[in-house]
Amino acid sequence: MAVHAAHSHGADIEQALAACAGGDKNALRRIYDQECPRMIGVAQRMLKRRALAEEAVQDSFILIWRHAARFDPQRGSGLTWIYAILRNRSLSILRDERRMETDDGPVATEAASEEDDPETVMAKLSDAEALRGCLDALPAPRRGMVLLAFVQGLSHGEIAGKLGMPLGTVKSWIRRSLIALKECLG
Amino acid sequence: MTQGPDRDIPAGEYVLGLLDGGEKDAFERRMAGDAELDAAVARWQARLAPLDATAPSVEPSKGLWQRIEGGLDGATARRQPAAAKAAPDSRFARWWNDLRLWRGAALAGAAAAVLLAIGLVAALERARRQPVMVAVLLTDTNSAAAVVNTFADGRVELLPLQDIPVPQGRALEIWTLWDRAAGPRSVGLIDRARAVSLRLENLPLGTDQLFEITVEPAAGSPTGRPTGPIVAKGLTARRL
Repeated sequence: MAVHAAHSHGADIEQALAACAGGDKNALRRIYDQECPRMIGVAQRMLKRRALAEEAVQDSFILIWRHAARFDPQRGSGLTWIYAILRNRSLSILRDERRMETDDGPVATEAASEEDDPETVMAKLSDAEALRGCLDALPAPRRGMVLLAFVQGLSHGEIAGKLGMPLGTVKSWIRRSLIALKECLG
Repeated sequence: MTQGPDRDIPAGEYVLGLLDGGEKDAFERRMAGDAELDAAVARWQARLAPLDATAPSVEPSKGLWQRIEGGLDGATARRQPAAAKAAPDSRFARWWNDLRLWRGAALAGAAAAVLLAIGLVAALERARRQPVMVAVLLTDTNSAAAVVNTFADGRVELLPLQDIPVPQGRALEIWTLWDRAAGPRSVGLIDRARAVSLRLENLPLGTDQLFEITVEPAAGSPTGRPTGPIVAKGLTARRL
């Protein structure tokens, strides 16, 4: 499995997770020092609001601590595991907030930063990544759908609304993009 | 490595965050029992991971680590004790075993009550934070009397859903039971049905953990164990 340049401390993370499972809070702090700023960035691309992003990160660290013993290095890297927890938590907050309509208004009404646009994200993706080449090989609208889902956490319906396309078309294009990406990335 | 489209496409949609509430829940249940599906998810997570590396670094607010650290004590790794066996003569054992029969009936009521509880949380204190686990406490006629919400930062609260009659000179005591060997522990005492924070600072907290309300003397049970009638009880379940 590809380890990307920005995440070169993967082995440290896995050691730290093992130490967390043994009850070592300093190990959790090491993960925090290394990954917290990026984690807030990932959560904020989905949740828009800084406070919600920090809440997602806070919850994620507690979940990482609680479930560290369940991390299985055979299944994937420690970083991927941590970011999967964060993404899951962020999506839950995102969907709940949309239902709840708090004083501040639903998250969905807040505009995404230009920085989170699919093509801007593409530009930041390292050339060294196979994913970059495989996404580049997709027609731009299909690439955009995949990125809007993963990066901004948009649903099928929201993507359809944003691009002015029928829901069924969005669903089938994303499925076809997944098949193409899988074939390209192996 | 076998990887048919029957697994890879839904696994990809799951990792993209495209499955909605019901689909996501069904998918996660399937994944728990299907190692190949779990492996397909792990492959997508690894394939798409470079995208997370493109996120900007955002300096954490002061105090974020302290908030995390403050939540750890309420969340230390816990194992549910192995399924209870034996000791059928204890009163607590009977509650515990009895609860398994309650579960089926409780689920239908629980779904409605969880929605109600989430609404109450919003209305009462505009809490942005959502509960991590919820226990719906049912009366012996299966009506929802109260909910217990547990939060990621370790807070636990009880919210009544209906008035509970309390005789003169008596109070309602709230108990939790995570292990029959340890027995039930008191986590709160209220004079009448009202919202209250429960004290679980040093107690374990997990899914399928029993919470119950009993009627006790005004100063609380004199024995440290439930002595009066059970008003309502229920087990914690993780929110979707």
